[in-house]
Amino acid sequence: MKTALELIILLPLLGAVGNTLFGRMLPRRAVEVLACAVVWGSFATALFAAGAYTGPTVVEAGPWLSSFSLKAPISFYLDPLSLSLCLMITFVCGLIHLYSIGYMREDPGHVRYFALLNLFVGAMLILVLAENLPLLYLGWEGVGFCSYALIGFWYREAKNATAGRKAFIVTRIGDIGFGIAIVWMFKVFETLSITRINETGQMVSMGVITALGLLLLLGAMGKSAQAPLMVWLPDAMAGPTPVSAQIHAATMVTAGVYLLMRMFPLIGVSTTVAAAIAATGAITAFYGATCALAERDLKRILAYSTISQIGYMLLGVGSGAITAATFHLIIHAFFKALLFLGAGCIITAMRHEQDIFRMGNLRRDLPAVFWPFLAGALCLAGLPPTGGFFSKDSILTAVWAKGGMYYGLLYALGMLTVFLTAFYTFRMLIIVFGERPTISTRRSKETHALAPLPAVMTVILIPLAVLGLAGGLFNLPAYLGTGLLHGFLASLDAAGESISPATGLVLQAVAAVVGLSGMAAAWWYYGPERRHACLARAEQPASGATAFLQAGWYVDALYRHIFIRPYTWLSAVLWEQVDEGGIDDSLDRMAAQLGRSGQSLGRWGGGRVSLYMLSLTAGATLMIGWFAWVML
Amino acid sequence: MIVPLSHALLLASLLFTLGLICVLIWRTNVIMLLIGIEIMLNSAMLVFVAASNHWGVVDGQVFALAIIAMTSAEVSLALAMVVYLHRRRKTVNVDELRELRD
Repeated sequence: MKTALELIILLPLLGAVGNTLFGRMLPRRAVEVLACAVVWGSFATALFAAGAYTGPTVVEAGPWLSSFSLKAPISFYLDPLSLSLCLMITFVCGLIHLYSIGYMREDPGHVRYFALLNLFVGAMLILVLAENLPLLYLGWEGVGFCSYALIGFWYREAKNATAGRKAFIVTRIGDIGFGIAIVWMFKVFETLSITRINETGQMVSMGVITALGLLLLLGAMGKSAQAPLMVWLPDAMAGPTPVSAQIHAATMVTAGVYLLMRMFPLIGVSTTVAAAIAATGAITAFYGATCALAERDLKRILAYSTISQIGYMLLGVGSGAITAATFHLIIHAFFKALLFLGAGCIITAMRHEQDIFRMGNLRRDLPAVFWPFLAGALCLAGLPPTGGFFSKDSILTAVWAKGGMYYGLLYALGMLTVFLTAFYTFRMLIIVFGERPTISTRRSKETHALAPLPAVMTVILIPLAVLGLAGGLFNLPAYLGTGLLHGFLASLDAAGESISPATGLVLQAVAAVVGLSGMAAAWWYYGPERRHACLARAEQPASGATAFLQAGWYVDALYRHIFIRPYTWLSAVLWEQVDEGGIDDSLDRMAAQLGRSGQSLGRWGGGRVSLYMLSLTAGATLMIGWFAWVML
Repeated sequence: MIVPLSHALLLASLLFTLGLICVLIWRTNVIMLLIGIEIMLNSAMLVFVAASNHWGVVDGQVFALAIIAMTSAEVSLALAMVVYLHRRRKTVNVDELRELRD
């Protein structure tokens, strides 16, 4: 087991190191094979570990940080949560790596790309398997670094590099909270082992737990792009599309949710923290869904949908339903990877056109992309009987089961978001794939022809579509038999009020009806009859509510006014007034003064013998005069 | 003792001051500078002689003789250098000779 766990992490890191050192000497094919082979090898090892799994185990691979009472060895913790996430991560990332071969086939920077992609997977696996908080933080920062480097992968365009920096800086704000929480936990518990903290953490006072929980929530907000730190994710679309898929589906953004799940035995004790997590999730889910309603960029729609879906996961965590949240995390990884990879196919075929209102007719032109994309859209919209429906519904059911006014409100918000999700999903689907009669007249012949797609890019979509659609089988609701995942993860759940199967069925029916009505509304609003008017409207500059939503509720502008403006102003003051005006200038003036006085003193030593004589005489006279004064 | 010590000392200090003023003021000629130095030396010798006479000890007079010998040597050397300097630089102005500055 120890070797297996080490191999899971070491293989992607080996790929990263190997490609970094020797990638330039190897032929392109060898780089691709190495990058994919290590991730699939890691998946195979994870499968082996799953087969040999008997119970939660802690494996110590070697010493790491150790001084006085601070002990943070490189130790891994395998429990149902980390095991299921490992399997998901390695599998989805493996598919994304394969897809990248097709997507990056003409890019000259493939060595850097694959090395970073491997490092990304390795860092995420460290994060998931880490047994103590410093090791988790190592993976956490590694993931942050890789996302920064990959979002700004095409760094020659200033826009992309800025997006990378934005992602890095915004997540860093959350990391401050996480960093403080780690140090504080060590202060309080005298240990950094996650398992030990979770076992004995409840001894300390509730106020401390609440504060720790809120700090961890801040970290998760940054990493998982939750309100109010969600601004980096839509801009992160500047990176290559497979990178977006990996960030959204398997690695980066799920890290925050994972952290909260991992520490939930500790922080879940505090109802304040649970309520804050749930509220953050629900509000973010609503925010993301509304922004996606008006967005025109295909990838940004998907980015907002990720924000929204991660919000659901946090809502689940806040309601104590770790299983449901994990379930949704895994299913979301499948269908979001599917949607992003599908979007990558569309964007490649459209020769890097991302505006959905410039697309159309793709159902006929790209059937190999349309059907998997439809499956992904059904999952995202949460329509039965897809995996997305069951996973989202299990979260909403858990929220309902919590009862009370507060959670009732969150449930209503979640349900509203279900409607919005279905609406924007089908808006996107209908506009992108629907008939568009005007397309041939608007475009000249040669640009109309779609770019050819490598087979590997479309084939990858099929297993993801199957998993997304059939994902519900992993965790069937109670009335259809026992859930596989539920039994597996049962130990993690906070004891909540269970609800009767009948209530569950009613709730599911409600969710299904809401989702279907959202789909119907989208069909009515963007359907074939009104399509022409809709496209004509899209040519006009947006106004009113549309502009508000397209700008993401003007959160970016708000932050620019609240934080960036004062910051740049302060920097300018510190630079021009304090540094250059105060410190530099006073030093300059002092140096000039010293120089001047030195020059005037230097005139004494001008080589004029008479002056020397005069000075000598004056000095001797003074001395003699003084002696005479003293003596007499 | 015809001349009291205080008179001799007064004369010596007067001479010394005159020599010093000569050294300080007369910059246009090195020879005048040397003359000033000679005057100062002579005033010192005068003090030696007067003191030796006052206390009746011969040491001061011996010392004065030694100074005379040393001074004559010094003057002959210095004047030779002045002549050489004048040949090379065509000047004997003290303020124009500042090569040793650096």
